[in-house]
Amino acid sequence: MKTMDLVRDVLDKQVVDRDETKMGRVDGLLLEIRPGQPPRIEAIDMGFVVLARRIHPRLEAWLERLRRRFGVSSIRKTARYRVPWSAVKDVNPFCVQLDVAALDTPAFDWERWLRDHVVAHVPGVDS
Amino acid sequence: MNMKKATQLALGIVTAVGGFFDAGNLATSAQAGASFRFQLVWSLLLGTLLVIFLVEMSGRFAAVTRKALPDAIREHFGFTAWLVPFLVLTLVHFLVLASEIGGICFALHLVTGLPPAVWALPVAVLTWLFLWRSTFGTIENSTSLLGLLTLAFVVAAVRHHPPTGELLAGMLPSLPHHDPAKYWFIAVSILGSVIAPYLFYFYSSGAVEDEWDPSYVNVNRGIAFVGMGFGSLIALGAIVVAAVVLAPRGIEVNDYHQAAMMLTDAFPFWGFVLFAAAMAIACLGAGIEVALAMAYTTAQTFGWNWGEDLDPREDARFCMVYTAAILVSSLLILFGIDPLKLTLVTMAINAAVLPFVAIPFLLIMNDRKLLKEHANGWISNSVAAFLLVLALVLAVVSIPLVIMGGS
Amino acid sequence: MKKTLVHFELLLGREVHDSAGKRVGRILSVTAEREGGDCVIREYLLGPAALLRRLGITTLRLVGFKHREPLRVPWDQLDLSDPKKPCLRCRADELPK
Repeated sequence: MKTMDLVRDVLDKQVVDRDETKMGRVDGLLLEIRPGQPPRIEAIDMGFVVLARRIHPRLEAWLERLRRRFGVSSIRKTARYRVPWSAVKDVNPFCVQLDVAALDTPAFDWERWLRDHVVAHVPGVDS
Repeated sequence: MNMKKATQLALGIVTAVGGFFDAGNLATSAQAGASFRFQLVWSLLLGTLLVIFLVEMSGRFAAVTRKALPDAIREHFGFTAWLVPFLVLTLVHFLVLASEIGGICFALHLVTGLPPAVWALPVAVLTWLFLWRSTFGTIENSTSLLGLLTLAFVVAAVRHHPPTGELLAGMLPSLPHHDPAKYWFIAVSILGSVIAPYLFYFYSSGAVEDEWDPSYVNVNRGIAFVGMGFGSLIALGAIVVAAVVLAPRGIEVNDYHQAAMMLTDAFPFWGFVLFAAAMAIACLGAGIEVALAMAYTTAQTFGWNWGEDLDPREDARFCMVYTAAILVSSLLILFGIDPLKLTLVTMAINAAVLPFVAIPFLLIMNDRKLLKEHANGWISNSVAAFLLVLALVLAVVSIPLVIMGGS
Repeated sequence: MKKTLVHFELLLGREVHDSAGKRVGRILSVTAEREGGDCVIREYLLGPAALLRRLGITTLRLVGFKHREPLRVPWDQLDLSDPKKPCLRCRADELPK
């Protein structure tokens, strides 16, 4: 895709990793404003605080405070996961594909934690 | 049509029949028949016509774009626009799930005599276990085949030889002779129970799980028309039975106990147990679909990995959503909320939130860049536009009707 | 030099004023192009027509909406030095048609 509509084709799109594991959505896009040159996409933002900011900036600040207060930081080190645009492998009508492995990224912090601390302890799930 | 498609068609129809009839349909049909005989059949027919078109659209959308509705809606309208409908629908789904769990608990209460609240947690665990252990295919097959038990209502209706003239007259809307508030409350609740929002999110996600592609457009049409039509026949059966059995005795269904007598005339010995079994199965099937619809919607909204065919270790967050949903909604029953009242009010709320379903639907089905030649034609659009107008009316009138006619 | 960064998602829906202070419309759609490994912005599309274009809706024309082209603002005509108050570097009627 050469020309695209950033809102329609990129923002809010499903993000998948190199094995096509669904790993989140394009919750935000970061633009770099360059003098004399068109703005370029610097990075993709993913995470709840990015979404919170879209609802209201105060909600973002409040969520951040909550996070610090109740130290879930052992599970999730960063509240947002920022991927440089250079890691984007493909943008197609179906998804945005990144050249990463989902399981090794902060996008899967909760997924990994739930798997190891909750799912693994359910009887009948063989480890 | 090849063998796989034929199987899918048959299976889809059975699933649609099995998944259609639930606590909401049973409660509203029993009330309608007992209080107004055949006079509210038109509401069921109207709801059925609309749900056929909507289910067809959601399946067609999934087959053509390979995306389920919540997924596509977030991408299409953006997070901020989808947020409010998402939260409202999640809340409603939570009430529907509680209604289904309440239905199963009540059926068990009928057979065992133990109060429904006692059954809340065992039923929650059973429902959860079913979802945790099985794949999408097993869920489809088992609940739908067992769901055919609800055909008992149709058999009973036929055995009672209902007065054809009165039944046909009920197919056209007419003004009530008594209790207008109750009449319109039930009419709205029937619409809410037939056009249940979870159906579309579940059905389109299911189509993606079954890996439909554009060649399934016709299979989908068959499933929507035959499946939903047949499912509504069961609800019609329940109205007829209630009208013939309960109405002449002056029994108004204010409690599931009264509804439980519905099948005893047609099946003297087995009627009571049959009713309990049909109720439990119908509610279990629907409860599983609602819980999955919640998990699909949440996972797709945030872009998490999802799929009932995956091992819970691969989509832990998806599994946690239905786990939490089942657990929390069973608490409502555990705390002793009356399942029938909960169901009736929930169905009216279902009707009230229809604009959140109808508006994105109408817009997204007209996106020619996405759907190309499969975008809505003028027939589907007329029906969708009519639904939109109806939904807006329902959004305004349902809640006042709950207060005036719901008690 | 420090990079000037702007959150794209927060630009959406923002009202744009022209150099004379007149309201021009809201940013509802943005086109971009791949340029080597980069993705750069070409145009900002303003007004309700931009939204309809983004949603791919043509049917609304049937019910009386006139098909209008969205207002197109080339990237170099939009000043984003205050992302909360984007404004044109020219007057609205000076935009290339």
